[in-house]
Amino acid sequence: MKHLKPINSKAHQVTAARKEDTLEEVVAMQTVVGCTGTTDPGWEVDAFGGVAGLCQPMESDLYGCADPCWWPAQVPDVMNTYPDWDKGADSAGSDWRKLGEVFPSDK
Amino acid sequence: MLMRWMFTAALALSGIGGSLQVAAADERDYMVVVNRPNNLHVIDLAKEQLERSCTLPGDSAPGTVAMSPDNRIAYVLAGRFGKIWGVDISNCELTFSAELSYDNVRVKSLASLAVSPDGKEIYTIHNPTRIMNDHYKVLDSQFAVYHAGDGLDAKPQRLYPVPRQINIMQTGDNGMVYMSGADVYAMDPKSGDLSVAIASRSGVRPGYGQPDILTVWPIGRVSNEFIRMYSVAKYGDVEKSPEATEYFWGYERVDLTTGETAVEDFAPLEQVLFTGMHRPGHPNEFYAVLTQLKRHDVKAKKVIKSIDLERTYYCINFSTDGSKLYLAGTYNDIAVYNAETLEKLGNIHLPGGDMSMATSQVFSAPVSRLASN
Repeated sequence: MKHLKPINSKAHQVTAARKEDTLEEVVAMQTVVGCTGTTDPGWEVDAFGGVAGLCQPMESDLYGCADPCWWPAQVPDVMNTYPDWDKGADSAGSDWRKLGEVFPSDK
Repeated sequence: MLMRWMFTAALALSGIGGSLQVAAADERDYMVVVNRPNNLHVIDLAKEQLERSCTLPGDSAPGTVAMSPDNRIAYVLAGRFGKIWGVDISNCELTFSAELSYDNVRVKSLASLAVSPDGKEIYTIHNPTRIMNDHYKVLDSQFAVYHAGDGLDAKPQRLYPVPRQINIMQTGDNGMVYMSGADVYAMDPKSGDLSVAIASRSGVRPGYGQPDILTVWPIGRVSNEFIRMYSVAKYGDVEKSPEATEYFWGYERVDLTTGETAVEDFAPLEQVLFTGMHRPGHPNEFYAVLTQLKRHDVKAKKVIKSIDLERTYYCINFSTDGSKLYLAGTYNDIAVYNAETLEKLGNIHLPGGDMSMATSQVFSAPVSRLASN
């Protein structure tokens, strides 16, 4: 942080809070705020840097990774905010065309 | 003489991976597994066909199943990781229901479900978050005890603090609950006393790196074990040079009868695997699955046989006599294999959709209790 200087009021507040030791303790989260429980990147590569170790076909792995929020970026948070994303699409292998995008609703 | 024979037989059947659950004359193997959207299936494994399908009150995920000790009630962690249901598998009656969340506290449980040896208590892990108007507050994780007899609006009767990041759990014959987290923990559910059964993240194996572990499948009942696999680097020199480093699969195991623990490498790291367990009655044989199905010789740390599967399956399980393998999870069919030859014997197709990350449980039960007619 020594090379960063706050230039607006919000950044000044962050810096001040840090200096005054008023920030709350940061704790590891497990299954909570949306699908941010893990940072696994998803489909791209396997543990060996290739693709042979990925599940085959990809659709067989889709719900197994979406349900526990294993893919935080690629699919909606079906554990918390979008539990109906897969409604009517019980088989990922044959129903994947029914799976669409989601958008936050107005409060 | 009969008593002596029974004692000798009991000795022969005990030990690592060797607790063959010899079925009585009128018993046969069954499997319970759930799939989308809200099905709980009871499968007659002798006939390799569906015995009955029960409807759950909500979504199936994650579909973690723990059987009561008498194999009459299937407890299911489902409802988007937030509800536990108990289902009488002989008639689909809902006997137990617990909503983990309360007030403005959202509670999730990651495949954490177990039942006490007397069947009277149900255990899970609460991971609570208080949902405020403008922020969330992450609360401490808790070990939660429910009474099986509390019916359809059960509340936790006891709560104990536990470390974060716990997933699967299994109950030992001694009543201790073994839990998978950063280490393998042992919880006394009567007192809340927590100890480390296997030091994993906190442990040091000379010459080894830190093990990498993934599990959300509490399998192992038919081989009498709490089991989770790890992959690990074994260094060949003090510099930990890549050229001298070997990579292995291994497992961390708790014998559910004796409480004895084991940490053992069983094969070189060749492919990605999700679940594995010992073959019942064959303590030196360890099988594992993902997109390959592999049979291992533990002592020799070698692959006996490996086959490529038609598709990926997450969850391995055995018949109680160790003769057949059942691969479940992902889509909606159970693949059946000969455990000795890895020859495919067939598929059991389930009505409904994907099993996803559901856990299959295999057990013996009287035909007279579970048969439809």
